[in-house]
Amino acid sequence: MQPPVPPKISAVEVVPAQPTEAESAAIAQLNVETNRSLPQVAYVVKVRLRTKPPVTSMAWALYANDVLIPKYWEYKDGIYFTVLDPQFFADHKGKRLRFSQNGVDFFDTGVRLTAPRTPAAESKRKTARSARGKGARSSGASAARLPLQADVLK
Amino acid sequence: MTTLNDPSVAGVTPFDTFIYGAPPLAYPPALAQYVIYNTPDPAYLTPRINVSAFANLGGGAAWPFLNTNVPLNGHVCVPRGRGPFPLAVFAHGNHSPLENSTPGYLYLCQLLASHGIIAATIDVNFLNGFNFGENDGRAIVHLEHLKQFRAWNNTATHPLHGKVDLNRILIVGHSRGGEAVGHASFFNRLASIGVVVLDGSLPFGLGPYRFGLTAAAAIAPTDRQFTPVSGPTIVPDSYYVIHGSQDSDVFTFEGYHTYERAHAVDLANPTVSDGKFKAMLWVHKANHNQFNSIWASETPPGVAMPRPSQEQIAKVHLGALAQAVLLDRAEYLEVLRDHGAAVPWDPAGTEFVSQYQDPVRIFVQHNQEGIGAPVVSLPVQGTVAADGVVAARQLTALVGGAPTTTITLRLAWAALGSRLLLRVDPSTLPAERYRTLALRVGQSTEASNAANRDQDFTLEVSSGSHTAAFPASCLHRLLYPDPPPFGPAKIVMQTLRLPLEQLAECGVDPTDLRSISLVFDRRATGTLYVGDLQWSN
Repeated sequence: MQPPVPPKISAVEVVPAQPTEAESAAIAQLNVETNRSLPQVAYVVKVRLRTKPPVTSMAWALYANDVLIPKYWEYKDGIYFTVLDPQFFADHKGKRLRFSQNGVDFFDTGVRLTAPRTPAAESKRKTARSARGKGARSSGASAARLPLQADVLK
Repeated sequence: MTTLNDPSVAGVTPFDTFIYGAPPLAYPPALAQYVIYNTPDPAYLTPRINVSAFANLGGGAAWPFLNTNVPLNGHVCVPRGRGPFPLAVFAHGNHSPLENSTPGYLYLCQLLASHGIIAATIDVNFLNGFNFGENDGRAIVHLEHLKQFRAWNNTATHPLHGKVDLNRILIVGHSRGGEAVGHASFFNRLASIGVVVLDGSLPFGLGPYRFGLTAAAAIAPTDRQFTPVSGPTIVPDSYYVIHGSQDSDVFTFEGYHTYERAHAVDLANPTVSDGKFKAMLWVHKANHNQFNSIWASETPPGVAMPRPSQEQIAKVHLGALAQAVLLDRAEYLEVLRDHGAAVPWDPAGTEFVSQYQDPVRIFVQHNQEGIGAPVVSLPVQGTVAADGVVAARQLTALVGGAPTTTITLRLAWAALGSRLLLRVDPSTLPAERYRTLALRVGQSTEASNAANRDQDFTLEVSSGSHTAAFPASCLHRLLYPDPPPFGPAKIVMQTLRLPLEQLAECGVDPTDLRSISLVFDRRATGTLYVGDLQWSN
């Protein structure tokens, strides 16, 4: 028998989307913990795979260099994870995406983490646009203009 | 000792099997195997739960619900009678979501129910797929099923009213579900997890839990795919793990890391025990999938033992665990202490390695003080002398997977008569309070160990006036590692248990214990790994 081989990544894309109710609660908690005001945005990082390995219990953990992506999920073209704090992209943009099954042996995918176009600016721009359009004042109004994650993942 | 009955043989208690579920569930044709949950027994209707704070639904299947309203589906075998009956709940692991993994443990549920245990196997298929990190979600689903049984037990009009013994609960998980039972054991004691308050309040409606979990059992589990913010999960309840040497899915012995973290020595209070046991069974030639009766074998024909043999082993050993912890038949703990007690019931010729740590113990040497030369562990006082044996404490990757944080003592010798001698101050070692000298030791595939040959040495114990010597092989075989399907062979230590009674018969006075030696006089060369040496029950 042959040991499992890591998946190959063909592209990475980051799409701002509406946070779910659970993510909104997590953003609120982050705001309290960090004394910041994060945008009501869930950044969906879509990692397109050339082929999906079979479903097993052993997993290929995804890393940006040495930073573990704690959870990811499957969609039809690959896997995705969500980022709630845009600072993540400031810290890790351009870092190598790597897979590992044990945190010791890493397989470099040759693909690097991309970032949304200036997430803070994007958020502000959308907030302003939303506020202008609807007369709303809250950042939640911008979130409402963002696509649903289910639509982003279609 | 009481003569034990074969725990894999069905008991005499009649039982009924029900499907429970949360209809309406319009499963699409691709998920036709789940349609059974759309028509549960009318008495066993369940609510939906919101797991969105923990997990998204697995991809690859068009589930007819969202992660904010996943169903509590399952199969439950209910003994007939007044009860209250203990409860065992099984959870599967990650697998193709197009195949319903849930019924794969009915063979175990039926066995337990026939002995008077309410036994269920639950649907967590909606978290299956090519995903990662969702095992906290699996744990929450498992705990919410327990909550459902509590609700039924507390509902005057329900058939299970007053029939569930909520202080005798065993949770069992396979694969990622095996990792999740460790998290469930941990979560069970928490008031909140992140933003989720576990008091049943909205928006998530999860908890409260705080069940009387008697033990958590893991079948071929993963480890650390989910890590709490407080660090890798340390299972607070009694813990049991079983894993096969030919597992070609979880091909490193991940559960061993969970096992090592559980009920480990507290360096600040080395004599303090949390009152829980842990036990491990390593099964040569067992694979991953054959513990689930639905899953096709992941190994080619001839690599693993036949499926009926593997299911028999699961029935014997999980049956013994259930007898011991759920039915108060403590005599079945003997199967956990020494797998040799199950020889008459296990498939002939099967080789096992087992470990057991009793809640009542004092370490003579736990090796966790640091890297380097071995010492006698406080509060026992003494010295260690290595004569002709290279003895070094090191972080050895015994079983593969993530780096270990548990130190092991490596012993290598190249001449007959080499010896590791632990001299102890008898006033610091109250051995007479215990029943057994327990030593964890195992061999590697290093060249100094002859391939496919058991390793052996002599264990010598001396008091002031007498010495008793026993070949390790008369306590248990030290098997050569089974070649794995791929990757390095695992070094799985065997717990050798030498009864104090046998020492006393040789004139050794446990109140005046002076030394314990490992004498390498039975093989000219060798390399062994020692986990710990303790007096225990």
